[in-house]
Amino acid sequence: MTLSPDLISGALSFLFTILILSYVIGDNPLFRVAIYVFVGVASGYVASVVIWQVLVPRLITPLVPTAMSNSPMQWVMIAVPLLGSILVFAKISQRLSGLARFSMAYLVGVGAAVTVAGAMIGTLLPQVQSTIEFFDPQIAAARSITTAEVVGNGAIILLGVVTSLIYFHFGAHQKTDGTMRRLLPIEILAWIGRIFIGITLGAVFAGVYATALTALIERLSSLINFFGLFS
Amino acid sequence: MADILQCPNCKTENPIGSKVCKNCQTPLSPVNKITGGFIKPGQAPTRKHTADLEPVLPQWLRDARDAARGTEPQNSMEPPLPQAEKDQPAAPPSNDFLAGLQSSEPVSEDDDEYIPDWLANITGKSPTTPREATSEPNTSRRVEMGHTADFPIKEEPAEESETPSWLASLQSQEAEPEKDELTEWFRNASGADTPKHHEPTPKIEESAAAPQPDESPDWLRQMAMDAEKAEAPKPQEDSEFPADAPDWLRNLGSPIEVNPDSGLNPFSLTEQAPAESEASAPPIETPNWLSNETPKQDTTPKWLQDDRAASDSETPAWLANEAPIQLPPEPDSQPLSDDIFTELPGWLKAAAPESSIFSQAAKEPDVAPEPQQDSQDWLKDFQLAADQASEIKPESEATLENAPAFSTDFHSDENVNSLFTEMPDWLSNAVDSSSISPSTSPVDGALAPSELPSWVQAMRPADTSRVEKAQPAPTPNRDLPLESRGALAGLHGVLPAMPGFTPTSKPKAYSIKLNASKEQMAHAEILEQVLAAETSPDPIESLSAYRASRTLRWFIAFMVLVAVAAPVFLRTQFFSTPVGVPNETRDAISVTQAIPEGSALLVAFDYEPSRAGEIEAAAAPVFDQLLLLKHPRLTFISTNETGPILAERFISGPLAGHNYQSGATYLNLGYLSGGQSGIRAFALDPASVAPVDINSQPAWTSTPLQGVTALNQFAAMILLTDNADSARAWVEQTEITRKDTPILIISSAQSTPMIQPYYAAGQVDGIVSGLYGGAIFEQYNAGRPGTARLYWDAYSVGMFLAVVLTLFGGLWNLALGLRDRKPAGKGMK
Repeated sequence: MTLSPDLISGALSFLFTILILSYVIGDNPLFRVAIYVFVGVASGYVASVVIWQVLVPRLITPLVPTAMSNSPMQWVMIAVPLLGSILVFAKISQRLSGLARFSMAYLVGVGAAVTVAGAMIGTLLPQVQSTIEFFDPQIAAARSITTAEVVGNGAIILLGVVTSLIYFHFGAHQKTDGTMRRLLPIEILAWIGRIFIGITLGAVFAGVYATALTALIERLSSLINFFGLFS
Repeated sequence: MADILQCPNCKTENPIGSKVCKNCQTPLSPVNKITGGFIKPGQAPTRKHTADLEPVLPQWLRDARDAARGTEPQNSMEPPLPQAEKDQPAAPPSNDFLAGLQSSEPVSEDDDEYIPDWLANITGKSPTTPREATSEPNTSRRVEMGHTADFPIKEEPAEESETPSWLASLQSQEAEPEKDELTEWFRNASGADTPKHHEPTPKIEESAAAPQPDESPDWLRQMAMDAEKAEAPKPQEDSEFPADAPDWLRNLGSPIEVNPDSGLNPFSLTEQAPAESEASAPPIETPNWLSNETPKQDTTPKWLQDDRAASDSETPAWLANEAPIQLPPEPDSQPLSDDIFTELPGWLKAAAPESSIFSQAAKEPDVAPEPQQDSQDWLKDFQLAADQASEIKPESEATLENAPAFSTDFHSDENVNSLFTEMPDWLSNAVDSSSISPSTSPVDGALAPSELPSWVQAMRPADTSRVEKAQPAPTPNRDLPLESRGALAGLHGVLPAMPGFTPTSKPKAYSIKLNASKEQMAHAEILEQVLAAETSPDPIESLSAYRASRTLRWFIAFMVLVAVAAPVFLRTQFFSTPVGVPNETRDAISVTQAIPEGSALLVAFDYEPSRAGEIEAAAAPVFDQLLLLKHPRLTFISTNETGPILAERFISGPLAGHNYQSGATYLNLGYLSGGQSGIRAFALDPASVAPVDINSQPAWTSTPLQGVTALNQFAAMILLTDNADSARAWVEQTEITRKDTPILIISSAQSTPMIQPYYAAGQVDGIVSGLYGGAIFEQYNAGRPGTARLYWDAYSVGMFLAVVLTLFGGLWNLALGLRDRKPAGKGMK
């Protein structure tokens, strides 16, 4: 009887599924084995992907053609990343770790610039504009939304945003009895904000539960299908 | 080194004249030119050769030594020492008992006051006389009192030289500036021709050593013995002598029995006279001059004759008689004590060794006129005895500084009588200074002077006391603190026990308490409580509750497993698919239906393998409909390392029925590194960022990407993700370059609430959220592929179970809370 890859993969998946589900009874060596194997396999695969899909095709392979070419620009385009990569590897040595500052500074600087620019352009401004448009009747009409709904939706959203931000205001004054309490209006708005935050967290929890439930269903289904192969 | 003083504390070099260190302000003691360094506390005294002490030798001693060397050739066939050699250091007497006096108080040589030699010898001051230091008055006689071992003994054959051993030892003595009058007196009495021997300065330290019988007292003893033989004793004269008159003096007038060992020997200034050493002393060799002495012969030594000729008035009667001195045999020695010295006249006690100079402060000696009176009587008697002695012709007027104390020509009878022909100056001055009270005031900056014997104080001339009063001994360390305890008490500039540490005041005490207000302390307490609550474990109230919670957990897990597994296993379809279609899902459906046929689609796989079941369940209906109706060219890319392999799994799993081939109908560009920077770079120039596919084949010339060079040339962009951050990154970075290209997000249920604002803002065209969205899409896809429907009953049962458990748990907690509040309320009431 030849073992097909599907059978092998099915058996292994069944085995590791059982090992992971053993966590129901608590932390145990079987669960640890499954975790360690998963971490090891994932790390190895990630290293392989980085080497063969990043370093080799984009750093090593172009060296020969670039060296043979007479274009200084190409030399610069390949020499700078190569030098930066070598300097990053200098972090391995404690004595030479200072040399990696140049590469890390470049990466951090570029990453920060991209992130900040993307957040400004892709999130902050559009979200503010969207919040304002909730009160725009023309846009609401284009969406076939009545004015009442627009105002209501806008009001709710505005209330939720404001009260959620006020909830995180911890400026307080000491009363005569020695207790620390916020002002009454802030206390009221913070209480409302607590409701919105609670609802949001509840929705997030429901989504997490749904995701996990779906994953469980999928695993149980795969196990059943595996047993079905032998039936 | 001679010009620089090194600080003992900080080793800083200071000029030679500095009193304190310029760096650490440590008192600097003058460099001992001989020793070459400072004396540190606790440091053991450095043994020095006597030859090194040449610079501190008094000038008179040097002169005596030089004179002795100069007269040595007459007896020992040695050439006279040149002047240069006279200044060369010689071996100082090892038992110079008065050397300590000299070192304790350096005397300024610029002092114009008169300090006689005998006083300088006692007090340690350098003699400053109007006369030259090298010259000595002819009328003065100085007697060097000391041990014969103090004097370097030059071995000479006895039969060849008439110089007795004790005289020979005196020849190598170093000259000292302090000149004892006795020494000079004896020198002059011996005559001018007699070579001047060295005048050893007796040292107080050496006073402890027993005087050897062969040394200075020997000649006296021998003289006494000869005198006994020559003359009959005159006991009646004993009564004429004062009580403190030594025996040898008593024997001078008439045979005086002098017991040098009993301490009466004026040349034996030691307090101890070990009997053993004296008993075992070899027999005294009678010098010729002593053996040949006749009472009537002029046995006055030449040096004594000179003094006698110079000043007859100074010659006491007892000295002029020059009676032979009979020295008694060596009796059993008895340690010399101060009681013995009480028998000595005052002038002899001056040369007697004093007690330790550090033992007691200077006290007013019990000066009484009695010693002076006794000395006067005793001196008279002594002068009579001296007059009886034969006159000694004065010698040639040799320079006294070169004349040794004792001459080799000192014949017995003649020299013995010559000893007492003239009264030395100190004797004559002793009579005049009877009314002078010695100054006992401690000199500023010097050691506390010890109590001087009465006979020493009686000898002090009037000028001396005036000198002492007018001339406080200058010391270089007078400005320095005075040490008041320890062995160095009385000294100035003593190094402290802990160099550099001179606490002048109590260190200021600083409070270790933190100055904080009450409000700050309250805030600190709150913060501390918060931190403590984070780290402190919650105590387990009861194990029964813990066991109950574990049981409850197992029960719930079992229920969920059974509830979920049963529909899956039974493949039930009791629960209907969702009817309500969210707006984001409807828009997603609209977008997929608006995609042109055969267009290129960019699909980003940015989810974890653990979410593969849900994502595939949600994405399968969407792609199934697209592939079935639109036949698009798919291009896969991922910012996650596992994305490419998930893409391959997805295209070969749920979509396997469409038979899409890599490189023909779809292309996998693989992993896109750099995070948001990589996404932005890809959005700007995708061909340069991802030039090859997962198989390292050129991508942008292949069929799936034919005619596509930019991001906006894709018909649509579909993002499969399980976290909101990845969706946000793709949305933000492709906002500008994507332009009108629609973007659909197929996300898991947990990230959909975070992606909703982007849909509400119009940045995302549609959202398919988890299994619910997949189930809806399957309704619009004629139920294909059916994965969502298969999971729907189990999903519904699970969600229903979760809702029931949540409600039941909430109600249970509410009930428990209400139950707990009631007892608290009753307690308050």
